[in-house]
Amino acid sequence: MSRIPRDYLINRLVTLVLTVLIAATLIWIIPRLSPVDPAEIALGRMAAGAGAVENAGEILETLRAQMGIDQPLIVQYFKYIKGVLLFDFGLSTAAFPTPVSALIANALPWTLGLMLISLIITFIIGNLLGALMVWEKTPRLWKVAIPAAMVFTSIPPILSGLLLMWIFAATLGWFPLTGAYGLTVEPGWSWDFATSVLHHGFLPALSIVVVTFGFWALGMRGLMISVQGEDYTTLAKAKGLKPRYILYKYMIRNAILPQITAFALKIGLLIAGQVLVERIFAYNGMGKLLYDAILDQDFPVIQGVSYVIILMTALSVFIVDLIYPFIDPRVRHEVA
Amino acid sequence: MAETLQTPTRAEKRQARRLRRFDNPWLNPKLIWGVALLLGILLLGLIGRMLWNLDLVFTGSATLKLPPVGFENLRKQEGVWDFPLGTDGSGRDMLALIIIGAPNSLFVGLLASLIGMSTGIVLGFTAGFVGGRTDDVIRVLSDVMITIPPLLILVVFQASFGDVSLTMMALLIAGFVWQSPTRLIRAQVLSMKQSGYVQMARLSGASTGHIMFREMMPNLVPYLFGSFIANVTTSIVTAVGLEVLGLGPQRIPTLGRTIYEAINAGALIQNLWWWWGIPTLLLAVMFVGLLLINLGLDEVSNPRLRKLS
Amino acid sequence: MLDDTETVLTLTDLCIEFPTPRGLVQAVKDLNLSIARGRRVGFIGESGSGKTTTALSVMQMLAKPGRVSGGQIDLGGTDVLAQGEEEMRRLRLSRVAYIPQGAMNSLNPIMRIEPQLWDAILAHEPGVSRPDLKARSDAALVSVGLPVHAGRLYPHELSGGMKQRVCIALGIILTPELIIADEPTSALDVVTQRQVMQTLKEIQEKIGSGLILIGHDMGLMAQSVDELAVLKDGELVEHGSVAQIITAPEHPYTRDLISSVPVVGGASFLNPERRAEAPKRDSSEPLLRFEGVSKVYGDVTALRPLSFTLEGEVPQIISIVGQSGSGKSTMGSIMLGFNPPTTGRVLFEGQDLATMSAAASLDFRKNVQAVFQDPYACFNPFYRVNHALKFPFKRFGLSEGEAHTQKAMEEACVAVGLDPDLVLTRYPHQLSGGQRQRLIVARALMLSPKLLIADEPVSMVDASLRATILANIYDLKDKHGISILYITHDLATAYHVSDYVMVLYKGQVVEAGPPKSVIGDPQHPYTQLLIASIPWPDLNRPWGEGGAEDPGVQEAPTIHRGDVAGFDLVKG
Repeated sequence: MSRIPRDYLINRLVTLVLTVLIAATLIWIIPRLSPVDPAEIALGRMAAGAGAVENAGEILETLRAQMGIDQPLIVQYFKYIKGVLLFDFGLSTAAFPTPVSALIANALPWTLGLMLISLIITFIIGNLLGALMVWEKTPRLWKVAIPAAMVFTSIPPILSGLLLMWIFAATLGWFPLTGAYGLTVEPGWSWDFATSVLHHGFLPALSIVVVTFGFWALGMRGLMISVQGEDYTTLAKAKGLKPRYILYKYMIRNAILPQITAFALKIGLLIAGQVLVERIFAYNGMGKLLYDAILDQDFPVIQGVSYVIILMTALSVFIVDLIYPFIDPRVRHEVA
Repeated sequence: MAETLQTPTRAEKRQARRLRRFDNPWLNPKLIWGVALLLGILLLGLIGRMLWNLDLVFTGSATLKLPPVGFENLRKQEGVWDFPLGTDGSGRDMLALIIIGAPNSLFVGLLASLIGMSTGIVLGFTAGFVGGRTDDVIRVLSDVMITIPPLLILVVFQASFGDVSLTMMALLIAGFVWQSPTRLIRAQVLSMKQSGYVQMARLSGASTGHIMFREMMPNLVPYLFGSFIANVTTSIVTAVGLEVLGLGPQRIPTLGRTIYEAINAGALIQNLWWWWGIPTLLLAVMFVGLLLINLGLDEVSNPRLRKLS
Repeated sequence: MLDDTETVLTLTDLCIEFPTPRGLVQAVKDLNLSIARGRRVGFIGESGSGKTTTALSVMQMLAKPGRVSGGQIDLGGTDVLAQGEEEMRRLRLSRVAYIPQGAMNSLNPIMRIEPQLWDAILAHEPGVSRPDLKARSDAALVSVGLPVHAGRLYPHELSGGMKQRVCIALGIILTPELIIADEPTSALDVVTQRQVMQTLKEIQEKIGSGLILIGHDMGLMAQSVDELAVLKDGELVEHGSVAQIITAPEHPYTRDLISSVPVVGGASFLNPERRAEAPKRDSSEPLLRFEGVSKVYGDVTALRPLSFTLEGEVPQIISIVGQSGSGKSTMGSIMLGFNPPTTGRVLFEGQDLATMSAAASLDFRKNVQAVFQDPYACFNPFYRVNHALKFPFKRFGLSEGEAHTQKAMEEACVAVGLDPDLVLTRYPHQLSGGQRQRLIVARALMLSPKLLIADEPVSMVDASLRATILANIYDLKDKHGISILYITHDLATAYHVSDYVMVLYKGQVVEAGPPKSVIGDPQHPYTQLLIASIPWPDLNRPWGEGGAEDPGVQEAPTIHRGDVAGFDLVKG
């Protein structure tokens, strides 16, 4: 840590805190501007369940007190911010007495697992293919095939999800249509469960990879072309280094640097895209939780899920920023 | 290597064509194809409105779940020319749906991107020129906003407010697509400020306005276009994402909402591929068009790229 | 003279061509040349003469789509053109090494220096052990005058001269038969250039390889090589020993190259026709005045407090000379009002630049113009070049209509020796560097300012054109009565054009006075060092020694060598 310049660290921390604060505030303000009263929704649900509710006025008051929305706005805001920092988002209105944090805790590992795997795979494949588009020793066939594969890039993840689902699940039946694991297997540390999870995770992960690798490949192509024109690449060739060594240690190693920054910037969009994929595949992660919450008008859950995803995004950006000085020695010396 | 030996004349012809393209970067085939695809979708919307009966877009205007012409559905019904692209689960004509829906998506993308771009130009130039505190605020703000995924904030918004209009959706998305142009323009302005020709212009007594709009702006054009197109893509992806979650405009047919309904009705299991497939295909065409334009613009702004491909 | 058995490189009827939109371009035509072991051969010529192309073809590293279309390249008995890719890779560095022009960017920025030497060894001798690698890289670094710990640093932590030394260490680490050095010192200032060049010569003599030195500076060649090959438009126009070519050049082009090197004390390349009067001025205040001006960036002092007055009654050229980092360019940007001083005031005709009204500011802009180092950057690539001339002419209210502007532009072009029909409607990239810089001079001429700041106006222009452009600038004073502040690292030109010279070292004036004294007979050790380090096209002249960091240089006090009327430097 001592090798990260202090100004740089402070700068990144301020950005992290501001991001989380602004996002939390936005999530809080928007529903307050809406005319919908969450207490009435909850009451409506009770009424629907019980047939009729007699002392509606009293229950409404109690609900409001429970939800804390009978207090002045400013008090609500600070309570909310305090709660958010402790991951306390209140109680779900759809599954009423369940705390939102418990629902999120169940869903989060699924999303994290899917996300980590697919993000890492895409980043590696995308950048490698992008580099191969430029490298002079790439076989001809590859140089034609890679740009052709780019067509997938232009499709949003939900659409690729639909296509893959139709081809491999609905038509061919190779993979299950929906869910994160089979209904017949018991969740736990068993071989059956693990294979089931992998089997179910394959298509969602593939649909993310297929549509996002092109983004990295395109960016990498542009960067590689600049690196190819750099004097150090010419000198590397003049040194008689092996072409493959030049590709990895001189070209990709330098071209990848801006891609890592781009990774931090785009991470939010990628995670949001994944939420949609989860929704299509009815995968048990945050996306499905969010989608169900939207259907049920379950505001605490919507807020909680949005907040946690934004927090994840902001944290990933922060981590990438912290790692960066170790990948690019120049950053350690000149702070922007 | 082998190819040069076999057909040297062809290789040379290709070389000549490549070199010609080098001279006029705006005429590259990628750019032309991309624009053509987008214009195609616009024309589908415009001509379709004139020639097709748009009332077919209402629920129950036809037999349910009819396949496109030349196909058969699971109930052994054949497609009919009255509804050439088939009908959806509630008896709406697919052709009428896409004639109305496709231009809508493009409209949202263009409007949101236009607003985002204008904001980006204003903020980017301000940050680059004013510097100091103003620059700090704009820089940190765009750093912060760029990490917040627009989709989530919009989900919260739509879920709270219920139905929104297309324009409102575009405005909301615009709130999340000004960051990249701002950063891009700020960086370019800062580097151009040091450039010889801007210094020359200052020596020539040029006003700040002249330097911004007459000296810097023309050189920014390819970057601005590139950023604009990238933003159109992001905006459409976000809009379609919302629609697929069932959160877009409720009363206007959109491609995303059609897909939402198809998934909800189990169109995948029932093999009603045209219901979700046609809007998906149309979106894909739109995105391929945008991608091609972006690649073409890259070649304009980065001459090194032109040597390849 | 040359023994065949000792030949390291033989080029026979070498032809190289580049396909372009306008057809094939013959970059090198029927070139015949051989280089003996241990000999240093200079390839001299302007940019585009084919010297780098020839050298790169020896390594089979021509930029695409260039190709060798005929002839033979024989590297110590190996037919280079017959080698496959893998064989060629093995030849590179082990038998023919390349020292690049842009040492600034030639090292991988994210690798330490040592591994960049090691991977070169390992590519040719797989399996060398770590201690051996370390021992060899240390020895290579020491042999080029670098401390061993430099190997643990990253390239951005080294100065330009040090990076160039690393590139030399890399070039000799496998003791090749032939070293190709492509303008290895073009980015360095004179003192560092001399030191690096001396290192390269020493080490080349030690390992006994052949050396091709590519360059365009006849002085540097005279000091560095044994033989000279003069190239023009892809043809070898003259080849012989350096002594023979310098004393008795046969080809007119060679003669041009030699005479284009300005020499201190030699014949002037200027021929003043008449002395112009300074333009009538309304103000009785001096033209430009520095009052205790200094500039500090963070904890670096770029310029120490400096006070002087330029009266401007008679047009004068004041030269400010120094190496990069001496503060001379900072001074230029302060004078132009681009960069506010940290302390002190800059007064133009009695008015402080910092507190000027808008109207006065426009007047200041009209009267103080500049010529910058990089003529390409000075033109907006979006516009035709006439935009740069037309716009200020109109802006300052000098234009009396389109026709008048056009006429003024054409006259200015003619005055600097350009054909207006050929250049004015072109785009900047369609013109040569020399043409662009002359246009910038023409622009200054059109605006007829009272003061011109010329910041390294010829350092990025081909050597043969430098004299012409300097003559154009000199004419501004001589024929048009414009006072000029000439900022340069080139003492020889300063000697010829200026009325007064200030030598800047680490932000401080160390010697000042008329050029005949300061440059003709330097007294301060720093000025002496600069002058001794200039490479002269004179084989009998020693090339000097020592560096700018020597204690004798650092501690010597400022020396004033006399005054000239109209310019008053406050002695402090």
